[in-house]
Amino acid sequence: MASMVIQLIASFFATVSFAFLFNVPKKEFFYCGITGTIGWFFYLLLYNFLSSVVFATLIASVALTIVSRLFAVNRKLPVTIFLISGIFPLVPGAGIYYTTYYIFTHEISLAVEKGVQTISIALAIAFGIMLVFVIPQRCFLWGRRQR
Amino acid sequence: MENRDIKVGKEIEKCNEKNRTCADIANERKDMIFNLVMKAGEILLHNGAEIFRVEETMEIIARAYGVNEVYVYAISNGLFLTINVDGNFFSTKIKQVPIETVHLGRVAEVNNLSRDIVAGKYTMEEAMKELDRIAAMPFVPDLWRIFCAGIGSAAFCYLLGGSPFDSFVSFLSGFLLYIFIIYAEKRRFPKVLKIVFGSAGVTLISILMFHFGLGNSLDHIIIGSIITLVPGVALTTSIRDFFNGDYLSGTIHLVDTLLVATSISVGVSVMLKVWNMFL
Repeated sequence: MASMVIQLIASFFATVSFAFLFNVPKKEFFYCGITGTIGWFFYLLLYNFLSSVVFATLIASVALTIVSRLFAVNRKLPVTIFLISGIFPLVPGAGIYYTTYYIFTHEISLAVEKGVQTISIALAIAFGIMLVFVIPQRCFLWGRRQR
Repeated sequence: MENRDIKVGKEIEKCNEKNRTCADIANERKDMIFNLVMKAGEILLHNGAEIFRVEETMEIIARAYGVNEVYVYAISNGLFLTINVDGNFFSTKIKQVPIETVHLGRVAEVNNLSRDIVAGKYTMEEAMKELDRIAAMPFVPDLWRIFCAGIGSAAFCYLLGGSPFDSFVSFLSGFLLYIFIIYAEKRRFPKVLKIVFGSAGVTLISILMFHFGLGNSLDHIIIGSIITLVPGVALTTSIRDFFNGDYLSGTIHLVDTLLVATSISVGVSVMLKVWNMFL
């Protein structure tokens, strides 16, 4: 439990620092951080229950995209701002690196294994994002009326 | 056809009596709309907006200024824009836009601008000035970028399973890596060289620190410190492009991903091999 809290804090800082590197407007750092944290929270939760990386990533990216669309509508900004920064903890960066690294060290079976996993994670993320993007815009407007 | 030519000829003759011809005025207006729409699209594409957003925004701006026939084709590194301003002739502009840094602040500003243009708050001249301002929006100060790269490296090292001690070492090497990256950007290093040298250098630093007893797991330290270079977002974007039917953009992003990932691995694995050879 404690380690999960630390992980969530780490994911918040990871997201905010990447938001910084992507030159997101300063006012939005907090919201970007929250987006990333929510994504990582769902990922951890589902990964512990189901121990399937791909499925956990799929659900996490759905949750994260819903949150970033809500923020985008509420703060009148393009959804990319929250999505790109928030998706960063889930994105298979390490997987891409390991795949090419194993190719270079001639450990082909490991490379194939990592490669397939990387592609499936990327597919899961893209599929999750797409699932949320087909929801019509008006469904996200309720948050704005409350303000 | 002949009739129309005569008619146009007569109109031009009429205008010639004044200082500026109709054609001149039409041309100026066409140029203005062209430049405005192209510039908006270029800023969006250059700074990391999605393909559909680029196309949509360009069409919206053109329509807001009364152009009804506008066709945009955007790919990850180029723009094709065809516009019919005067009702007679179509004109096309093509622009190459290199894949480079992401500046989401600019994307947000262009987005706001296009909303204001539709609301009628900007004339073409004002919009052009505003676009110039957005294009010149500064990046985050270098020191902050370096510091944030360090924090990002440390956080990712922890998320990917490193211990807090590893995270601390990752912070140091991520910090040093970004100093090099910013230096290389200023010197306009080719992308591949920048990444190969950067990842080789950061591997050497990590090995040295590990050798002197800093950190528990070299693997986690290295993956943490190179995470700022790894093209995870580009891979995801590429697959999203494929799903949207933008196959060309998807391919371009995919090739970019593979190139960057290969460069990182070359840097890291060569440095590890060299180190193992000497020790």
